[in-house]
Amino acid sequence: MKPIDLTTVLKDAPQGEWLALSFSLDRIVAHSPNLSDAEEAAHQLGEKMPIMMKAPPLHALIL
Amino acid sequence: MRVPFSFLPIPPDSAFPNRDEIKRPIVALLIANGNRQTVIFCVVDSGADLCVFPASLANRLGIELSQDKASAFSGSGETTQMACFEEVQATILPMDGPNIDPGQEPLTFPLYAGFCDTLEHVGMGLLGQEGFFSRFTVNFRNAESFFEIL
Repeated sequence: MKPIDLTTVLKDAPQGEWLALSFSLDRIVAHSPNLSDAEEAAHQLGEKMPIMMKAPPLHALIL
Repeated sequence: MRVPFSFLPIPPDSAFPNRDEIKRPIVALLIANGNRQTVIFCVVDSGADLCVFPASLANRLGIELSQDKASAFSGSGETTQMACFEEVQATILPMDGPNIDPGQEPLTFPLYAGFCDTLEHVGMGLLGQEGFFSRFTVNFRNAESFFEIL
């Protein structure tokens, strides 16, 4: 199965901010240091169900 | 449900000078508290004992965290961390992508979820043993770039 490639959409994501991704995962609809603000902004821009995540930190590995 | 792994960007370092991406088992999880809901990426983490999320998600869902439902845990460091727990409803949403059966049904289940400040920097939830792996059979097929949640 082909993996989902988030590298392009996240390449220039602002570090440390919450991102509201389009459900199709092809763009960052909104971003903010605050999760609620990012999601609200995405809703106002017409994205009904954004997927929230934080821009990956430079030390992105999770143990 | 079959879910493809996701590639995320990661900068190279001295140990992995040729690396620029990492493959993770991630799901889009809709978490609901009453009529308030948010979709957040979560790592399916068999090494995590519990299911925990960034604390700001609780705020978004209108959950008032109580020290009466607090539990201590730790990661790879020695520092003890605290998570406050609350009942929510969780739904794993089928991911969109090539070669994925578009007819897959979402998986909804009750979840006693922990929320903690120290997961803020990760910016994703962790779906661990109690509450997730205790409920579903998960087959990781890393070499084939997908995993199954049954």
